[in-house]
Amino acid sequence: MSTPKLRCVGVTKRFAGGRRSPGVLALDGIDLEVRQNELVCIVGASGCGKSTLLSIIGGLETATSGIVEVDGASVTGPGPDRGMVFQGYSLFPWKTVQENVRFGLELAGATTQEQQARTDELLAVVGLADFADSLPRELSGGMRQRVAIARALAPEPDVLLLDEPFGALDAQTKRSLQEFLLTIWQRTSATILMVTHDVDEAIYLSGRVYVLSSRPGRVAEEIEIPFGSSRGTHIKRDPRFLDLRDDIEEHLYTQMVEG
Amino acid sequence: MAGPGTLLALRSELDARWQSMLGVAGVLGLLAGWQLVAWTVAGGSFLLPTPVQTVRALGELASSGELWSDMLASVQRVGIGYGISLAIGIVFGVAIGSMAAAEAFFEPQFGLLRYIPASALTPLFLLWLGIDEPPKIALIVVGTVFYNILMVADVARSVPTTLINASYTLGANRRTILRRVVLPHSWPGIIDVARINLAAAWLMLVVAELLAAQEGLAFRIIRAQRFRQVDRMFALLLVFGAIGIVSDVVLRAVKKYGFPWARP
Ligand SMILES: Nc1ncnc2c1ncn2[C@@H]1O[C@H](COP(=O)(O)OP(=O)(O)O)[C@@H](O)[C@H]1O
Ligand SMILES: [Mg+2]
Repeated sequence: MSTPKLRCVGVTKRFAGGRRSPGVLALDGIDLEVRQNELVCIVGASGCGKSTLLSIIGGLETATSGIVEVDGASVTGPGPDRGMVFQGYSLFPWKTVQENVRFGLELAGATTQEQQARTDELLAVVGLADFADSLPRELSGGMRQRVAIARALAPEPDVLLLDEPFGALDAQTKRSLQEFLLTIWQRTSATILMVTHDVDEAIYLSGRVYVLSSRPGRVAEEIEIPFGSSRGTHIKRDPRFLDLRDDIEEHLYTQMVEG
Repeated sequence: MAGPGTLLALRSELDARWQSMLGVAGVLGLLAGWQLVAWTVAGGSFLLPTPVQTVRALGELASSGELWSDMLASVQRVGIGYGISLAIGIVFGVAIGSMAAAEAFFEPQFGLLRYIPASALTPLFLLWLGIDEPPKIALIVVGTVFYNILMVADVARSVPTTLINASYTLGANRRTILRRVVLPHSWPGIIDVARINLAAAWLMLVVAELLAAQEGLAFRIIRAQRFRQVDRMFALLLVFGAIGIVSDVVLRAVKKYGFPWARP
């Protein structure tokens, strides 16, 4: 058994409360792993701590206790080894599409030629070569998220972390971006951990799904998705897909009603 | 009436021709009202010159060359003083708006200092700095810097946290983020702050020149008063207004064309 690309051991997060309130236990002993080239999803109800977990993995928040490891080495702060894509609008509005993508490469100290080559390559991969000199405001929501993904991939991170990246998009755009993410994943053999509240999306995209329970966030279930690398709309009609979806949705619904 | 599409509709766009026509009509109305009051109420007294007399006085000031040297002196004072004030405002404002510790340390003191009327410091500055340029510059700085700091801080605070987080995950450190993310995102807002507080800089300039100066627009107003040249005084007031409008238009244009990404 090789070391997983990414591992969380007992990650716990308590937000300090006010003078009288005891604080919020947002995450309680999260254990999870993502292996090289895996695409794993985390699903959970709104407010169960998904974003908090991803921020801790990304190094943007510190865990109250527990360890996050990349390639077996524990990480504390943020770094270009873990690329992140956020739910909302996170592009630099004053930079053009290519300047956004290039930013991480500049920070890494790549030469101008390297920067340009990598930026051009990524823009071609995300299908936005014609928009290299556009400002983010001139793009649709779906195109912006493609740029955000290209920007996160530019410094060649070990792990790509996505926090409900398609949550704000309309159904058709979301669909095309899901296909896009699968293509990216296959072409770049990236290791991807994605947070979503969309159960269909989680099953459709990933090889494994972690279901988080709410208050405190715990790993309630870890589900192996049985479709291997075969993806396509046909799996959405597979009875196993439907069963899995019903299971997870039932679970989340019970959680919500109880919480 | 007054629904969408009519001239008085609320929150709807006005086409450019109407906009400029209404603006010109407003200014002409003001001039007409002035002329009317000068004729009727003041009855042609020298105490309230008509627009025509004012323009004539302006012409005299311009051809004698006084106007230009006074304007240069005043613009220079405001330029230097307000420039210093903005530079300080940007440094402290960005720090306060981006770092909780800087905010906790500086904001209360600046919030307090802001309420000391800068004009009340004039005697002190004259005592400390003599009567030449330094006290005038100092007055302009002190009279505007706290507003600049606190307002730039608000601008820097409005940089979305996601942009800062995204920068961290791309490998940026704090310094780089301040320089390459917070500052660029804040420029359009800083220009707005500069535009709004510029009026306070002119206010302080007048206070400074009224007390001690050999030249300058406000100094010239005092001189004109001594010789009861009210038409000159009016002409100089118009010059203040014109300088204000020009700098406003310039700063708006800089924001609009220099930062097209920030257009609404
Ligand atoms: N900075 C914070 N301070 C206090 N509580 C927080 C903070 N951030 C998140 N929380 C709380 O932690 C819980 C999980 O939040 P979050 O991770 O955003 O959930 P999700 O992304 O699953 O919707 C919520 O109850 C939220 O109120
Ligand atoms: Mg969230």
